[in-house]
Amino acid sequence: MAGLELLSDQGYRVDGRRAGELRKIQARMGVFAQADGSAYIEQGNTKALAVVYGPHEIRGSRARALPDRALVNCQYSSATFSTGERKRRPHGDRKSCEMGLQLRQTFEAAILTQLHPRSQIDIYVQVLQADGGTYAACVNAATLAVLDAGIPMRDFVCACSAGFVDGTALADLSHVEEAAGGPQLAMALLPASGQIALLEMDARLHEDHLERVLEAAARAARDVHTLLDRVVRQHVREASILLGD
Amino acid sequence: MIPDWKVVQDYLEILEFPELKGIIFMQTACQAVQHQRGRRQYNKLRNLLKDARHDCVLFANEFQQDCYLPRERGESMDKWQTRSIYNAAVWYYHHCQERMPVILVTEDEEAVQQYGSETEGVFVISFKNYLDNFWPDLKATHELCDSILQSRRERERESQESHRKEYPEHLPLEVLEAGIKSGRYVQGILKVNKHRAQIEAFVRLQGASSKDAGLISDILIHGMKARNRSIHGDVVVVELLPKNEWKGRTTALCENDSEDKATGESPSEPMPTGRVVGILQKNWRDYVVTFPSREEVQSQGKNAQKILVTPWDYRIPKIRISTQQAEALQDFRVVVRIDSWESTSVYPNGHFVRVLGRIGDLEGEISTILVENSISVAPFSEAQMCEMPVNTPEKPWKVSPEEERERRDLRKTHLVFSIDPKGCEDVDDTLSVRTLNNGDLELGVHIADVTHFVKPNSCIDIEARTRATTYYLADRRYDMLPSILSADLCSLLGGVDRYAVSVMWELDKTSYEIKKVWYGRTIIRSAYKLFYEAAQELLDGNFNIIDDIPEFRDLDETSRQAKLEELVWAIGKLTDIARHVRAKRDLCGALELEGVEVRVQLDEQKNIHDLIPKQPLEVHETVAECMILANHWVAKKIWESFPHGALLRQHPPPHQEFFSELRECAKAKGFFIDTRSNKTLADSLDNANDPDDPIVNRLLRSMATQAMSNALYFSTGSCAEEEFHHYGLALDKYTHFTSPIRRYSDIIVHRLLMAAISKDKKMEIKENLFSNKDLEELCRHINNRNRAAQHSQKRSTELFQCMYFKDKGQETEERCISDGVIYSMRTNGVLVFIPRFGIKGAAYLKNKDGLVISCGPDNRSEWKPGSLQRSQNKITSTTTGGESVTFHLFDHVTVRISVQTSRCHSDTIRLEIVSNKPYMIPDTELSHQTALLPKSDLVKEVTKSVEEAQLAQEVKVNVIQEDYQEYCQTKGRSLYILLEEIRDLALLDVSNSHGL
Repeated sequence: MAGLELLSDQGYRVDGRRAGELRKIQARMGVFAQADGSAYIEQGNTKALAVVYGPHEIRGSRARALPDRALVNCQYSSATFSTGERKRRPHGDRKSCEMGLQLRQTFEAAILTQLHPRSQIDIYVQVLQADGGTYAACVNAATLAVLDAGIPMRDFVCACSAGFVDGTALADLSHVEEAAGGPQLAMALLPASGQIALLEMDARLHEDHLERVLEAAARAARDVHTLLDRVVRQHVREASILLGD
Repeated sequence: MIPDWKVVQDYLEILEFPELKGIIFMQTACQAVQHQRGRRQYNKLRNLLKDARHDCVLFANEFQQDCYLPRERGESMDKWQTRSIYNAAVWYYHHCQERMPVILVTEDEEAVQQYGSETEGVFVISFKNYLDNFWPDLKATHELCDSILQSRRERERESQESHRKEYPEHLPLEVLEAGIKSGRYVQGILKVNKHRAQIEAFVRLQGASSKDAGLISDILIHGMKARNRSIHGDVVVVELLPKNEWKGRTTALCENDSEDKATGESPSEPMPTGRVVGILQKNWRDYVVTFPSREEVQSQGKNAQKILVTPWDYRIPKIRISTQQAEALQDFRVVVRIDSWESTSVYPNGHFVRVLGRIGDLEGEISTILVENSISVAPFSEAQMCEMPVNTPEKPWKVSPEEERERRDLRKTHLVFSIDPKGCEDVDDTLSVRTLNNGDLELGVHIADVTHFVKPNSCIDIEARTRATTYYLADRRYDMLPSILSADLCSLLGGVDRYAVSVMWELDKTSYEIKKVWYGRTIIRSAYKLFYEAAQELLDGNFNIIDDIPEFRDLDETSRQAKLEELVWAIGKLTDIARHVRAKRDLCGALELEGVEVRVQLDEQKNIHDLIPKQPLEVHETVAECMILANHWVAKKIWESFPHGALLRQHPPPHQEFFSELRECAKAKGFFIDTRSNKTLADSLDNANDPDDPIVNRLLRSMATQAMSNALYFSTGSCAEEEFHHYGLALDKYTHFTSPIRRYSDIIVHRLLMAAISKDKKMEIKENLFSNKDLEELCRHINNRNRAAQHSQKRSTELFQCMYFKDKGQETEERCISDGVIYSMRTNGVLVFIPRFGIKGAAYLKNKDGLVISCGPDNRSEWKPGSLQRSQNKITSTTTGGESVTFHLFDHVTVRISVQTSRCHSDTIRLEIVSNKPYMIPDTELSHQTALLPKSDLVKEVTKSVEEAQLAQEVKVNVIQEDYQEYCQTKGRSLYILLEEIRDLALLDVSNSHGL
């Protein structure tokens, strides 16, 4: 087979999307009763589950407690069956630790941590199926879970990945597109203010193109926001019906 | 119209016709092309889609909600693709509100039946049917369609027959090795017959296997199939075929381009025949090729991306190259490399590397020769030049005091002089002779001390090692060492101090018996740089020549006389000694091989005119004898010191069977050649002299030379002492010591000699010398390079000969008609030697149409129907009219020399027999005609004419360009270029007016 063509002359990507098009996003909030907040999201074939506990007292060593704000504790794990080749352990490897740190940074920027000094907020994220854009899916799922837990945030955190192929910026990369080895950028955006909570890129990209890729990622993140907003409203509506107002 | 995936794959070229418009390509079909036919075809499809004139569109049916069909369980890919395309076609039909009929073209019979009548308005028909119905007038498409169909059918048939294998697979390495050990297979080097490259190849046996198998001769490999993808020069493993399948080699003359026409003729007796079962070592190198001309490309047709190129070397099969630039590279010689040769492919695959030059251009052809011999002659690099000492007028090179202390100083005590050809720059040997106090004589040979400047494993040493020798082509040379060394500091020029390595013998004053020998480093100052002719004149007592010797010019009469006497005495003495040494060599070894020896030496000089020896002067022999003596003594010395790691030169005795042709020839003239030993051979060659025709002896000698094997360098550790023998020189040990400037072997020998001297002095050996194994490897390399040097020189001379004759008018020029001597017989022609130009070649007595030569009463030859009869030493051509003409060996005939031009290969000289009588040279021209046209003149003439041609071309171009400017004429011929130019002009005008 000749080298894979990521973007055809007609402007289609391998899975039939246009360059700026997102994959289908489906999400549900409040999937677990035991946790304070939980959410499940599907972005195309990437599936992630997020659970939030807290704010609660610091567990374990008290020394970790911060006097002025809450400690955000994030743990990322990816199911052994989530990738094409079975993983040996679900968490604790380098990649998982790194992802956990990134999530923590993202949510420390978004959650109003100063409202809960000397307490702790736990966010656990589990990827059930990885098909590209795992970070984005995790952030989006965690946002929904935090919202579900009722923890005050500045804004939604909406994340999306973007790549660059043949002079065109592609939004929301799938696994095939990621594996092709081009540059990929992950962005977490606070849509209302347009502030960026986290931006990460591997591989090299010419400076001239960066603007366009950023633009594509931001637009995609705003699209994600629209969708998440709809999900949250839907959830609130359902919840209020159940409460019997 | 919607083509099916299969149609897109197979008939894309037809779909590319501009007449066919409005094609809808389905995404499914395109993807099938991409996956199954590869990028190239897919790109073609993409270009087709982009081309606006075609009105073609791609419909992404798999991304369309209504058209997408999931593949069902158990459904084959093909079926699913067809179904998807049909489904999309139906959707398209409805989408266009059923106003436009949609035609689905498919090659699948089942699909036609299944879907043919399913939906009204969507027609499913076969491609042939489609063309017949819709484009009955478009002939070209029909033809193309047929040809594609045919080629596909052929391919299918082939694949059924041989499972797509053109050649049997090679056996794995372990099997080969085991087979060689057990004697089942034989290992050897494949040599392809240049004149019958398609059919005949021979495997020259290698290593121990030949002895075990009891085979003496080579093994014939008949046909490409048996050769099984091996290429000339590969080390192959061969399985012998049963005796009843053995074939003989063909003896008829034949040209490469013609088909195997020798079918009707009876080949010679069968010889061992085998087939290649594996390749041990591939010997692929860069090959020079020529792209087929425009017409040929078109005839190759369909697969235009893959082009079959023809290598310059006849022995290499055609190579398949994929390139887009075929058109542009047509007129050039191009270097390619072979990548692979699969068992499924008739020809090897290769890729394009670089362009050498235009076909027929002198520089291009020369570089072709160099590449073909794997000679790289890049200029010396900066790093290499940095290691070189400087010798400029501001900073003259001087003898250093340390060296002065270490070396023996011969500047004051010895009269040293050199004798070389006129105009020689790299003087690497000088001679001296003097009387010692006790009355004995001292003979000295002083060789340039190159190793002083070239340290082992320095950059320059490594470079010299790779080059191994200086390459002399017909019109230029490529030095082994930079000119600062070769022409200046190492060159033992007259009147300057130079370092040397000397061998000095003390000889008895009367018997010239060698009493003592001394080897060592010295400092010398050569007093005279003589040339051969001058030295000979002095020797003969003819002193008029002294005006030509620059060293004598500024002297006053008395001192000149004294110096002259001294020099003449030295030369005379030297000649005396040389005579004596030679006589002793003849006596001691009781061997005299003078003629043959000179010939071999000349062969090493790689001179194609070696067959016409220049009138040898005695001085030549004197110098040569001194050098042989020095080489011999150095060989003895280094062998004694390093019995397992000395570099010597051997000349193995020739195979007796190679002499058979010589014996046959000689018998025709009534001579008997005894080839049992070198002594008897030399004697009988001396006797075989026809007083009427001196050429006979020359030819016989040259044939004897051809029968000889080549002299080779070797490491003494690698073979037994009795094999050290030098057959031609009749010496038990021999090496090369006397030309370190132009031979790397001599540098090695110098280092060995220095190490041997310090070993004698009980000093530790500073330089780490080569081990036997490394030295053996190095010898192989040097031998290899020497062969390449010889070969390239021969080819370049041939090139010049061809260029020389090419410019001459065939009928008018006297030069193209010459006298030739028949020296060998073939079934359909004779081999002719032309003494005047030193050309050997084949002349046909039977041409391609089967007509034979006949000579009328006026001795003019004509082609007439008839037959040929060949016997031992004559060949008779009888026409149907009953006339007959007989050619005997050593008959003189008149031949016309013409040049057969060839696009892909080098031009070749072609000979035609014009008359069966010797060529009569008109008396008036006799004087300058008989004089041999020296090679250098030939070279000069050709170079000049080439330059003139180039100059003329340039002038022409200039003139035209001036005209262009003057009349503001447009240059291009096409309307497009014209318009472009007008546009440019308009732009210029606008800007000009702005400027104003």
